Amino acid sequence: MWKYEKKLQYPVNIQKKNLKMAKYIITQYGGPAGELAAAWQYLDQRYTMPDEKGKALLTDIGTEELAHVEIISAMLYQLMKGATPQELEAAGLGSHYAQFGMDLFPADSFGNPFNMAYIKVAGDFIANIESNMGAEQRARATYEHLMDLTDDPDILAPLSFLRQREIIHYQRFKELRDYYLEKYKNKKNS
Amino acid sequence: MKNFINYQNKMNNQNNYGNFIENYNAIDNMNNPSGYNNMNVGAQQNLYEPYQGFIRGNMFPNLYDEYKIRRPFEVEPMNEQAELLTYIDSLCFAAHDLSLYLDNFPNDQQMIQKFNEYRMESNRAIEQYENQYGPLFVNSNANSVTPWAWDNKPWPWEN
Repeated sequence: MWKYEKKLQYPVNIQKKNLKMAKYIITQYGGPAGELAAAWQYLDQRYTMPDEKGKALLTDIGTEELAHVEIISAMLYQLMKGATPQELEAAGLGSHYAQFGMDLFPADSFGNPFNMAYIKVAGDFIANIESNMGAEQRARATYEHLMDLTDDPDILAPLSFLRQREIIHYQRFKELRDYYLEKYKNKKNS
Repeated sequence: MKNFINYQNKMNNQNNYGNFIENYNAIDNMNNPSGYNNMNVGAQQNLYEPYQGFIRGNMFPNLYDEYKIRRPFEVEPMNEQAELLTYIDSLCFAAHDLSLYLDNFPNDQQMIQKFNEYRMESNRAIEQYENQYGPLFVNSNANSVTPWAWDNKPWPWEN
């Protein structure tokens, strides 16, 4: 089970409303390389990991991704706080306002709703872990693109933190993949 | 800021928390594909001290990879409550990052010891915070008061 900690893993304190950046950053909530997809992908995969190492790592990284969903959500909330419908419309968020008002809704930057088909599970622990390595790389690249689009330190700081976490997660998945390749060299399907 | 600086000094003075060493083992991360099969990362890991790791999002100097920004942003707490929370955030982050490493390298006794140092200090600081400012966890002692304290401000996403 999960328990709530009444704090963010990394603080979000955005002083300036920025609807353009909200429209871009939302993809890390509900887009193909977003935190929601990553969390569910890892948590779905953990049940069939071949040993305790894999079950622990996927549980722990999947749980951290849920904390990242909350960081991105806090960013979106603060970036949009106090915006008028006219301002939202001018920033390309008129459809968001029409459907959801000021609520959050997981979507990508184009407005496509979150899709569970983003989640890659293959019934094969090597294929699964390599999907996760790819997911971390795509998320890292997306964070770099988002960082390219702003100079506001209030926005850059959490984006930079989240990008760095992708690098660590990639490393841990790679270590696990390499360990399994060696451990199950001649019996991959056992 | 004064208290926060004290917290940081405290972190830096405790044991080896002040490690900022640049001599580390061969880098084996995504930016060095040639290190693909290097599994010798279980021994002699150097660590950032918790606050330095926290602001980087990474406790491991040999894995740190910066982009766009030339140095990590400092977290600048607005008041004493936020200062103590930053101290807790740093320790929780440090323990968590080590726990992911330990999932893969469960025999690294030094790292387990480090994990437990961070864990115990974070528990102590959380208790101090909850006594002063209210619960961070629903099972906190701070929830024994009336009126019910759990639904008090601040919520994490409010600024």
